[in-house]
Amino acid sequence: MIDARDTESLCPVCLARIPARRVVRESGVTLEKTCPEHGVFSALIWEGVPEFSTWQRPKIPTSPPHIGHPVARGCPFDCGLCPDHRQRSCTIILEITHRCNLDCPVCYADARGMDGDDPPLSTIENWYAAARRAGAGSNIQLSGGEPTVRDDLPRIVAMGRQAGFGFIQINTNGLRLARDSRYIRELKAAGLSSVFLQFDGTDDVIYNKLRGRDLLADKLAAIDACAKNHIGIVMVPTLVPGVNDHDIGNILRLAVDRSPSVRSVHFQPVSYFGRFPHPPADRDRLTLPQLMRCIETQSAGRFKASDFTPPGCENALCSFSASFLVMRDKNVRKVGGTGAGSCCPAPVNAEIGAATAIASVARQWAAPPPESTGPEPACNSCDCTTHGSMSLDGFLQRARTHLLSVSAMAFQDVWNLDLERARDCCIHVMAPDTRLVPFCLYNLTSSSGERLYRP
Amino acid sequence: MKNDNVRPDDLKWRCCQCQSDLVVGQVAVTYMNNRFTTDLPHCPVCKTVMITEAVAMGKMAEVEQILEDK
Repeated sequence: MIDARDTESLCPVCLARIPARRVVRESGVTLEKTCPEHGVFSALIWEGVPEFSTWQRPKIPTSPPHIGHPVARGCPFDCGLCPDHRQRSCTIILEITHRCNLDCPVCYADARGMDGDDPPLSTIENWYAAARRAGAGSNIQLSGGEPTVRDDLPRIVAMGRQAGFGFIQINTNGLRLARDSRYIRELKAAGLSSVFLQFDGTDDVIYNKLRGRDLLADKLAAIDACAKNHIGIVMVPTLVPGVNDHDIGNILRLAVDRSPSVRSVHFQPVSYFGRFPHPPADRDRLTLPQLMRCIETQSAGRFKASDFTPPGCENALCSFSASFLVMRDKNVRKVGGTGAGSCCPAPVNAEIGAATAIASVARQWAAPPPESTGPEPACNSCDCTTHGSMSLDGFLQRARTHLLSVSAMAFQDVWNLDLERARDCCIHVMAPDTRLVPFCLYNLTSSSGERLYRP
Repeated sequence: MKNDNVRPDDLKWRCCQCQSDLVVGQVAVTYMNNRFTTDLPHCPVCKTVMITEAVAMGKMAEVEQILEDK
């Protein structure tokens, strides 16, 4: 053992809060914990380069602007947010239906079927009002279930804009967007900024395994429809080892080809909550460093593991991101900082990190501004090379439209849950009673399927 | 004028060290490991570059926003 740090977690069986340790060994970093009743548990959380010790972006915590629940039983049982939480909301998720038009073997929300009642518009109006109180200025994601099963989704988008939210996104499988041109026009007219499009790969073998049917043609049609209607597209692959982790390079190539309509690829390594086939072994996980290396290898080095940086908003162990300029020849050039590697970075103010993330997501995940129709800039190399100096004007003209963000978020399940990370969370689901709950805790289920928060 | 970074009034300034009139020409700017070239007023002797408020608050602020990590 090289190092070990104490934290807290939950027992995967009984959901009791128990001490845990992040244990650093040559072979990797594991979260290890023992429940007095149910025994020892270990889950891989980091492995290889970039090294765990270098992946840091410490924060000076901020208190939630609105306390939704007092501290009573202690984290993670008092979400609301409680006064011990250490970050404000940057994204508030509203689950506007539990219905879904797919029946995927993997689903964090455990949504299924088209039966049941949706929350009425008056309830959603209350949620928007609560979101304004608890997280003014946050970005909004409308999720479910599958939000496009609601015919009144354009109305719900418009309600959010009227409530003052500048960025509204839907989290969707894209099926209806691919087939219903009138519906997507109405969504655009209502003020929809962005589509968080589940996009698991470039081959229907993948969709059959993860979603139970062919879907690639629908996904591509959904991208075309969003592009036509000037709605920003975020491609969101759920990555499952052995199923689609070989397709990462192809997904990135497709995103580059579809830039600037495709604004981002946001990878989500599979988490084991909600509905999943079996409890996870370490080989069933894709850690963030493994994913960064896959990105580099499968893109033949066009995107490098060293390009990525830890987040300024949420806990460093939760995500990575980088921005790339897409050139006319479809080469990419990293823009921005230098990635991880600093041994002891100065702490950043969490509140400022949240404000930066909110603005950056709203700008990058929405459709780009119309391309300049002016003359080509006097540009010495900005569109010709992937390195070297660029003309400032040429860079600006290209970067206003052709930035592609590549990012990933590692959600936590009951096996790898680290409560320190949960307290730093900025992506919050609004529970039906308007309490805000960190995404991972809202969706967390025990090994037998018992839920911590989701009704 | 070579580009919109430079206004006629900018060239009324003189370098306080060299007492030279400023000229417009290509300079290199580095920010967060990204190198850019652009035309700006500078002293032909000591090469000190003048960045006006309009450029600082305009193009350079926009570049900074694009480059800064979220």
